[in-house]
Amino acid sequence: MCDRAIYMTSGEKSDAEIVCLVDDDLSVLKSIERLLKSDGLSVRGFNKPKEFLSHVQTHSVPVVILDIWMEEMSGLELQAHLSGLSPGTRVIVITGRDDPAAKLTALQMGVVAFFTKPFNDDQFLTAVRGALAIYPMNERAR
Amino acid sequence: MEVAAASDLWSALDVVLRRVCEKTGWVLGQAWIPNQDGTVLDCGPVCFCSGEDGLTKFRVASEGSHFRPGVGLPGRVWQLKRPAWIEDVTQDPNFPRTKAATKVGLKAAVGIPILSGDEVIAVIEFFLQESRATNERLVKVIAAVAAQLGLVMERKRAVEELSRTNEILQSILSSMGDAVIVADKQGNFLLFNPAAERMFGKGATQTASSEWSHQYGLYLSDKVTPFPADQLPLTRSIRGEEVNNVEVFVRHDKAPQGLWTRINGRPLRGPDGELSGGVIVCRDITEIKKEEFFLFDQSRVLEMIGANASLSEVLTSLVLLMEGQADGLRCSILLLNRDGKHVRHGAAPNLPEAYVKAVDGAPIGPRNGSCGTAMYLRKQVVVKDVMTDPLWADYRKLAEICGLRACWSTPILSPHGDVLGSFAMYREETRGPQPEELRLTQIATHIAGIAIDRQRAQETLREREARISLAAESADLAFWVIYPEQNTAWMSDKGRAIYGFDSQLPLNRDLICGRVHPDERAAVHAAFDRACASIGLFESEHRLVLPYGRTRWVIARGRCLQDEHGNLLELIGVTIDVSAQKQADLQLQIQREEMSHFNRVALMGEMTASVAHELNQPLTAIANNASAARRFLQRGNIDPVLLQQLLQDMVADSQRAGEVIRGIRALVQKDKNVARSMLNLNAVIADTLRLVSSDIVLRESVVITEMDHGLPQVEAVPVQIQQVLLNLIMNALDAVQACPPAERRIIISTRSLNGASAEVTVRDFGTGLPKDRPDKVFDHFFSTKQTGMGMGLTIVRSIIETHGGKISAENAPDRGARFFFHLPAVRGDSKSQAA
Repeated sequence: MCDRAIYMTSGEKSDAEIVCLVDDDLSVLKSIERLLKSDGLSVRGFNKPKEFLSHVQTHSVPVVILDIWMEEMSGLELQAHLSGLSPGTRVIVITGRDDPAAKLTALQMGVVAFFTKPFNDDQFLTAVRGALAIYPMNERAR
Repeated sequence: MEVAAASDLWSALDVVLRRVCEKTGWVLGQAWIPNQDGTVLDCGPVCFCSGEDGLTKFRVASEGSHFRPGVGLPGRVWQLKRPAWIEDVTQDPNFPRTKAATKVGLKAAVGIPILSGDEVIAVIEFFLQESRATNERLVKVIAAVAAQLGLVMERKRAVEELSRTNEILQSILSSMGDAVIVADKQGNFLLFNPAAERMFGKGATQTASSEWSHQYGLYLSDKVTPFPADQLPLTRSIRGEEVNNVEVFVRHDKAPQGLWTRINGRPLRGPDGELSGGVIVCRDITEIKKEEFFLFDQSRVLEMIGANASLSEVLTSLVLLMEGQADGLRCSILLLNRDGKHVRHGAAPNLPEAYVKAVDGAPIGPRNGSCGTAMYLRKQVVVKDVMTDPLWADYRKLAEICGLRACWSTPILSPHGDVLGSFAMYREETRGPQPEELRLTQIATHIAGIAIDRQRAQETLREREARISLAAESADLAFWVIYPEQNTAWMSDKGRAIYGFDSQLPLNRDLICGRVHPDERAAVHAAFDRACASIGLFESEHRLVLPYGRTRWVIARGRCLQDEHGNLLELIGVTIDVSAQKQADLQLQIQREEMSHFNRVALMGEMTASVAHELNQPLTAIANNASAARRFLQRGNIDPVLLQQLLQDMVADSQRAGEVIRGIRALVQKDKNVARSMLNLNAVIADTLRLVSSDIVLRESVVITEMDHGLPQVEAVPVQIQQVLLNLIMNALDAVQACPPAERRIIISTRSLNGASAEVTVRDFGTGLPKDRPDKVFDHFFSTKQTGMGMGLTIVRSIIETHGGKISAENAPDRGARFFFHLPAVRGDSKSQAA
């Protein structure tokens, strides 16, 4: 871990190292961004699911953290779209509600982690780093 | 004989005629006096002739003559009221007796008037048998004699006048009904007219007036205190006082019953004004007094009636009063029984008990004594002799024992003409009623009619009161009547129990209102005043505080009764004890609140997603921010600006979490705060949707709002309206669950109903309502949901109705259900649409 990485802007990092985050709750979005940055990760946050969808069409996204309960589009819908657009993107789902049905659906769709808010920061960061690490090199190279 | 000594006019004239003729030598003197009408002069019976027989012929002619004023010598003198002289009557054109005068040779003549004051009372004339010229001296002599005669005659006439006046006075005094007594200064009687003798006794004049008081039984109006001698009217008038209308009661040997006299007295004064005695005039007012006492006694009987004395007391007094008006009179009053067929004893204080007992209960009929027949025939029945009259056939023996001989009976009628009883008069001698007795009968039946009718009316009233009381006892009602004018009140026994009054306590309005709870007393008084002022209705629901602190809830209703002039007579009403009902109402109210609360708690349960989400969001943000901060700090190179922002966000998020909790608490809290405030329903809908947004998302449903921005404001309890909306929204969400996610639509719209009320519609595209009766969903325990309690919509309806609104439900034309409710706009807010 190098200190410099912490302050590297997303623009300076390659897309392969940037974690995307989608949450329609601005406050939660900012707090997760900070958490990830505090661990030296690069983050790009999206307040609206559609903005992320257009981003993913032009950028390589190794990992995306999706909130399930969003008014515009649920995280699971978004994941469905994503699997078509960017099948290699690892998806971590966060939810405000412990909903077994939603969890099952998400896992079936191949998410790498599922967290119920509020979550343990260490476990969360470990999961994010894990997802980044297993991001296929070919994707990273693209 | 002197002229002055003459006893009358004629003898005086006789003296004058003779004296003049003898002194002057004239041969004939005659006198004329006006007749009674004063139209002609007639020749008087006296004359003087100097002895020649021939002169009698002229005398005869004169006696046959009557002269009008101005005719002949006497007429001339009469008219001119002064002497007249004729030198030769045979040559005079105005001398009708010329022929007779010529025959006896009479020539000269003189006529002299005899005046009394200005009036000619006689004319005298003298004749000579030769002609002679006027001799003034002779005329004067004769006129002087005539004047003396006039004076004498004047005096005589005055005396005659006086004696005539005296005669008139005497006849008046002796024939007048008032006693007139005149006494001199010493009290000796000067005059005592026959009426006075009748009043005070013949020997009265023999007693000095100072002795009168005890000699002749003069009393003050109490009939027993002797009249003070120095205050007697005659004594006072002799003293010089004027005495007016002094009443004295007189009783002595010749008037053992006593008599009443009203006396006026005046002092008598001599020509110089000094006291010479006194005169009194005494009027017998015994009859007037008797009538006065009779009327007074009648009014006493009427007062007894007014004071609600017992009927038997009243009738006994009446009978005694009538009996006191005539000697030897006995009376009785019988009552007609309510069955209209039998007589009942009324009053007969001076009839033997055996008679009273025998008559009590006897039937009425056409031959049933005087009374039974009078009542039967409804007219007066006079039996002059009970021993012979067929009506008395059955009672003859009884009458004989009781010494009754005659009996006349008159029916007593009510003001409506119903026979109430009879009034009878009995005599021990055979005779019919005298006019005075008929008059007494009329008075007695009138008064008895009033007494009996009143007593009957009161009996009826008491019976009615008893019946009402009975009804009141069994109905748990207080009956009461307030008499504002008398400041009294009546209350049924049950009422006294409800109000906690002792059964004997005299009541009035203040006492009754005094039982009202202090918080409500002023309002109850005001309601009473309003009812009284408008002669209207009284209605009030209030608490009563009984002695020892017990409280009752009551409803009192009353109305005012007025007399024919529109004056307030009484306020009559009932009070019902609704404590038990009130208790049940309160219980129900508590239950309703419990249910409502339970419903909200249940709603919260259904809204778990939203609740969890709403709370989790800020909590997550806080936790993440805190974790981030810790990590930055561990690295030791934190940017202070970043840290500042981070901490600020944490504060904001914790506040946000607090808001969420407050919102939840407000919703699940028991209804402590039910204060209404001005609400914009659009805003309430937006707030509510925010609250359930997570659930809407979770259920993959869409809520579309169509708000009318001109919606008028309503006045409502915010939490309750939120509860209504939550119920409708959660129901709608449930209803659309059966549809595929794309069709899970809910439309919430608002609109203004002419600015008078605000309407909210919640429309879903779900399964719809029961086809037969969509409104059934508002019933208790109706539920289509497995988890539902069936209370939600019942509570919703109760909330809307409490706010003066209305809610209904229907199936939408294509599919799904439509719930709509409206609440009345705040008055004066209908223009907010335009603003």
